[in-house]
Amino acid sequence: MMNTGITGDLIEVLFVLILGTAAFVITQRALRSLFTLYAIQSVILAAIAVVLFAEHRTVSLLFIALLTLVIKGFVIPAFLRRTLVVLPTKRDIEFSYLTPASSILLSAVLLFIVYTSFSNVAEVLFSDRLFFLGGVIGVSLALMGMMVIFSRKKVVSKIVGYLTMENGVLLFGLFIAEMPFIIEVLIVIDLFMLIVLSTIMAFGIDSSIEAFHKKLTQLGMRFED
Amino acid sequence: MNWNTAVYIVMNPLFALVLSPLVLGLIKTVKARIQGRPGPPVLQQYYQLRKLFHKEIVYSEDSSFIVRLGPYLGIAFMLTASLFVPMVFIPQTGWFGNIILFFYLMITAKFFMVLGGLDAGSTFGGMGSSREMTVSSIIEPVTIMSCAALAFVLKTTSIPEMFRTLLAGSIFSYPTLILVGISLFIILIVESARVPVDNPETHLELTMIHEAMILEQSGPKLALVELASGVRQTVLMALLINVTFPWGLAGLAGCASLLLAAVTMAVKMLILAATVGLFESLLAKIRFFRLPDFFMIALFLSFITIVFELLR
Amino acid sequence: MDFPEFSSGIEDKEAVVQSLFWVGGALCLVATILPLVLLFRPSRLLRQAALWVLLAGTGAISAAAILVISRSLDLHLTLLSITPQLALSFRLDKLSCFFVVIIGAVSFCAVIYSITYIAHYKSERSKQFLTSGLAFFILAMLLVVASSTTFGFLFFWELMSLSSFFLVMFDLDKPETQKAGIFYFAMTQMGTIFLLASFLLLYRFTGSFDISAAGNIPQWGKGLVFVSLFIGFGTKAGIIPFHKWLPYAHSASPSNVSALMSGVMLKVPIYGLVRFIIDVFRPDLWWGIVLLFFGSITALLGIIYAFKEHDLKKMLAYCSIENLGVIVVGLGLYVIFDFYGLRVQADLCIYGALFHTLNHALFKSSLFMTAGSVVQATGTRDIEQMGGLIKRMPGTGAIFLVGACAIAALPPLNGFASEIMIFQAYLTSFSLGRPILEILLMAGLAALALTSTLAAACFAKAFGIIFLARPRSGAASAAKEAPFAQLLAPGILAALCVGFGVFSYQLISNVKSGMPLPDILPIGIIVLVLTGVTFLLLLLTRSPVRKTETWGCGIPSQTGKMEYSGDGFSEPIVTVFKPVFRTRKLSTREFYDKYNSIPKSSSGEIGTLKFFEERLYVPIARFFMKIAGAVSNLHNVDMDALILYSFIAVVLVILGVGWWL
Repeated sequence: MMNTGITGDLIEVLFVLILGTAAFVITQRALRSLFTLYAIQSVILAAIAVVLFAEHRTVSLLFIALLTLVIKGFVIPAFLRRTLVVLPTKRDIEFSYLTPASSILLSAVLLFIVYTSFSNVAEVLFSDRLFFLGGVIGVSLALMGMMVIFSRKKVVSKIVGYLTMENGVLLFGLFIAEMPFIIEVLIVIDLFMLIVLSTIMAFGIDSSIEAFHKKLTQLGMRFED
Repeated sequence: MNWNTAVYIVMNPLFALVLSPLVLGLIKTVKARIQGRPGPPVLQQYYQLRKLFHKEIVYSEDSSFIVRLGPYLGIAFMLTASLFVPMVFIPQTGWFGNIILFFYLMITAKFFMVLGGLDAGSTFGGMGSSREMTVSSIIEPVTIMSCAALAFVLKTTSIPEMFRTLLAGSIFSYPTLILVGISLFIILIVESARVPVDNPETHLELTMIHEAMILEQSGPKLALVELASGVRQTVLMALLINVTFPWGLAGLAGCASLLLAAVTMAVKMLILAATVGLFESLLAKIRFFRLPDFFMIALFLSFITIVFELLR
Repeated sequence: MDFPEFSSGIEDKEAVVQSLFWVGGALCLVATILPLVLLFRPSRLLRQAALWVLLAGTGAISAAAILVISRSLDLHLTLLSITPQLALSFRLDKLSCFFVVIIGAVSFCAVIYSITYIAHYKSERSKQFLTSGLAFFILAMLLVVASSTTFGFLFFWELMSLSSFFLVMFDLDKPETQKAGIFYFAMTQMGTIFLLASFLLLYRFTGSFDISAAGNIPQWGKGLVFVSLFIGFGTKAGIIPFHKWLPYAHSASPSNVSALMSGVMLKVPIYGLVRFIIDVFRPDLWWGIVLLFFGSITALLGIIYAFKEHDLKKMLAYCSIENLGVIVVGLGLYVIFDFYGLRVQADLCIYGALFHTLNHALFKSSLFMTAGSVVQATGTRDIEQMGGLIKRMPGTGAIFLVGACAIAALPPLNGFASEIMIFQAYLTSFSLGRPILEILLMAGLAALALTSTLAAACFAKAFGIIFLARPRSGAASAAKEAPFAQLLAPGILAALCVGFGVFSYQLISNVKSGMPLPDILPIGIIVLVLTGVTFLLLLLTRSPVRKTETWGCGIPSQTGKMEYSGDGFSEPIVTVFKPVFRTRKLSTREFYDKYNSIPKSSSGEIGTLKFFEERLYVPIARFFMKIAGAVSNLHNVDMDALILYSFIAVVLVILGVGWWL
C-alpha cells in the first residue's frame, strides 16, 4: 500500500516543513524574509523530488529537482532581492480581508476540506497513500499561495504568493502522474514571463494595485469616478 | 516505596537543581561571545545564588502571605514536576509520568508567581503578571497538541514509558518526532522566557514579561524563584533531548551506569544550551501582539503533525 | 467503601432509605411553610427555626442518597397517582442519587450560609419570603432529579423554575433585577416548551410516561426528540446560544440564591441529558458530535466573555457557562467513544463529566458564597472598586483562593482531577480509526486546552484584583470580615474540593477500577514535603526581614489608583481575541439647522457588540412581537367579526370530526 520505511517518513517530514514555510510566508512582513522563505520552500521541493527519485528511479525526477533547485532556489530569489534595492520600504504590513492568524486557521480548515473531498477520487488519481497525501499537500500549498495573493497589498508579496502557488502545482503534479520533463520547462518559462510582465505592468515594483489603478485613471484608461 | 523509587525521588530533582545554573550560565556566555564580548564566567549563576542567600528579605507593606508563601510553592511544584522527566535513569515506579499532569504542575508554579506579581501593588508587577498569563494561555494549545502527538506516536501518556519505548527503538524508528521536537523547542523558548518571546536580560520594565513579575522578590526568596525558573528550563530541555535523542539514559540504577548517564545528560544539556544561546543571538524579540501569529504557526505545525500521524 | 453490615437484610435498608426520603421531603415542606405562618408579624425565631428544619431536611435526603449509592440500591417510590399513567413517582438509583447528593450537600452549605446572610436585608417580610422560597426551591430541585416519570419531571421542573424566578426577582425595586427576572422567565419557559414537546413525542412513540428504556423509535423520531431535549436542557444549562439569561440572573439575585442556581440548578439539566442518553436511548453518532461542538463553543466563548466583566458575579456566571461547556464536551465524547466501542475512553469521559459536575458544584458555590460575602462587605459588585481585601477578610480570601485554584484546574485540586479524565480520554483515543472524526477531536482538544488556561488567567485576575495589594476605594478599605456561618459554609466546600482532588484516584478506583489515571495523592504529599523542607532550609539562612513601601519609581505616596486594574490585566487577552468582542463605536450628532453647522447635541458610545443579544435574540423577539401584535389586532373587532370567528371554528370542528374519526 504505502511505501513504508525511511523514504516515506522522510517525505512526510518534508511535507510538514513545506507547509510550515507556507505558513511563515502568510505571516511574514519583512520582504527579504519572504524571498528567503520561498528559496527554502523550493529547496525542500527539490529534496522531495530527490527522495522520490531514490525510491522510483525515474530520471526526469532528477532533472526536475535540479531545475527547481537552480532556478527557483537561487535565480528567482536573487532577481527579486536585486529589485529590493529600489524599494523605499522593505516591509509589507497591511492585510486585507484576512488577518495572519485567521489565514492560518483557514489553511488548516482548507487542508481538511481538500483531504475529505479528494478521498473520494483517491483511488482513481493516485497510486498509493503517500502520493495521495502529496496531492493534497500540493493543492493546499496552492490555496495558501492564493491566500497570500489576495490578502497582501504590495505587488512583491503578491508575486511571492503566485510563486508559492506554482510550487504547489508542481508538487501536485509530481505526485499525480508521471510528469514529462518538457512541461516542467514550460512552467519555468511561464514563471519568468509572468514575473517580468508584472514588474513592468506595475509601473515600478514599489507600487500597490491601488497606485496602479490611480495611474491608469490618470491616463484615462479606466472610466471611474 | 522501594529503593529504586527513593533514589529516583532524591536524585532527579537534585540533578536538575545542580545543573540549571550551569545551563543558564552557558547560554549567557554563548550569547556574550557572539556579541563579541567575554561575558560573565560560566559559573556566575552559582555565585549569584550564593550572594542572594545572604541578603535580607524586603517585603512591601501592602503584600500578603502570597508573596511570602509563593516562592516555596513555586519551587516545590517545579521540583515535583522535575520528577516526571527522567534525566539520569528511568524509574520503575508508575507514580510519576503523566504528561498532562507534568505541564499542569508547571502551570501551578506559574500561577503562584503571577499572584505574587500582583501582590505588592506595583504597576510593573501587574503588567508582568498579565502578560505572562496571556502568553501562557496562548501557548497552551500548542503544548497539549504536542503532548497528543507524542501520545499518538509512542502510544502512551506516561513520560518514562515514552523514553523506554524510544530507547528500545533505533534512531530511525520515529522520524515524525523531529517535527514534535520543533514544537517542543518552541515551547521551551516560550516557557523559559527567551528571545524571541521575552528577553531575560532586559531591565526595561516595559519590555519585560517574566522578569517584571519577580521584581518585588528579594534575598533568599529571589534565589528560590530564580532556581525554579532554572529548573523549569532544565526539565523542558531534558524532555526535548530525551524525545529526540534518548541514548545515554540508564535503564537500571547501578552506580557506574548512573555516573555515565549523568555525564552524558550533562553533555547533551550543554550542547542544547549552546544551541539555544545561538538561536537567541540570531533573532530579535517579537512585538508582544505579534506573538499570537507566531504561536498560531506553531499550533498549525503541531496540528498537521498529528493529522499526518492519524492519516497513516 | 465498606460500611459495617447490619444484621438484617436488604429490605430493611430500603425501608430506612424510604423513611429518610419522605421525612426529609416533609421537613423541607415544613421549612417552606413555617416562615409564612405569621406573615403580618414576621418573626425572626420562626425564620431561624425554618432554616434549621431545612438543614435537617436536606441532611436527611442526602443521607438517604448516600445509602443508596453505597449499597447500590434501586428504589421506586410513589407519591401521588392521578391515573396509572400520570403519577408523581420517584426512582432512587445510583445516577439520580449522585445528583441528589450534589444538590443536598451544596444546599446544606447554602443554608448554613443563609443563616447570617439573610440578616442583612432590610424588610422583615422579605426575609421570610426569601427563606420560604429557598426551601421550596431546594425541595423542587431534589424532586426533579428523583422523578421517574416525565410527567413528574416536568411538574417539579416547572416548580423549580417558578421558585427560582421569584428568588431572582427578589430585589424588585432595581430595574436591572426586573430585566434579569423577565429575561430569565422567558428563556426558561421557552426551554420548558421544548421539553414538553419532546416528552409528548416520547409518549407518542413509547406509549408511557416512564423514564426508562425506550423501545423501537423511528430514526427521525429519535432525532427530533433529541434536538428538542437538547434545546430544552441547553437553555437551562446555559449552552451557547441559549446562555444569555445566565449572567443577568446570577448577578441580580441574592448571593445564596446565586450559589444555589449556579452550583446546583445548572446540574439538573445535566442530569436530564445523562439520564436520557444513557438509560432511555441508544444514542446516534451525530448526537455526540452536536454535543461536542456546542460544548466546545460554550466553553471557549464563556471564558472569553468572562474576561471583559467587571461585575464579579457576572464573571462567575460566565465561568459557570464555561464549565457547563466542559461537562457537555465530556458527554459528547462519551457518545462518540461508546458508538465506536472504545470502552475505556467512554468510561473515562462519562465518569469525568459526572465528576466535573460534582466538582463544579462544590467550587462554584464556594466561590459564589465568598463573592457574596465580599459584595456584602464592600457594598459593590465592581471588581475595580475592591482591592487589599485579603488583609481585611483573610478567611474569605483564603477560601476564595482555594476555589480559584480549583476552577483553574491546578493540581492537586479537584478541578484538575476531572479535567485530566477528559484529557486522558482524548490522548488515548488513537485507536478510533476514522481520521476525519479524529481531526475534529483534535480541534476540540485544542479548544479545551485553551479554555482551561484562560480560566486560570481569569481567576488569577479575579483573586489578584479583589484581594491583593491596596484597596481601590473607601468602601474596600472599610470592609470587615464575614460572620462565622458565612465562612463555615464555603470552608466546608473548599475542604471537600481539596479532598476530592487529592484522593481522586482512590475515589474513582472505588467506583470503577482500571482507569488509566495518575495518582494525585503522592504528588500532593511530595509538594507538601518539599514546601516544608524548603521553608526549614530557608530558616537556616536567618535572613533579616524588612518591611518597606512598594517601589514606585520615587513617587512619595502611592494610592490604590496606581495599581494594575482588572481591565488592564485582561487587556492583552482581550486584544488577542478582538474578533470575538467586536467593539462598536457609535456616534450621533444633532444640529439645529439643515446645513449641519450649529450643533445641538451629540452622543458617543463605545460598546461591545452583544452578539447573541442583538443578532439572535432581538430579531426573534421582534418577530414574535409582530405575530402577537397581529393576533391581538384580531381581537379589536366588532361583534359581527367575533361571531364570524365562532362560525369558522364550528365548521372546522365538524370537518375535523368527519375526516379523522
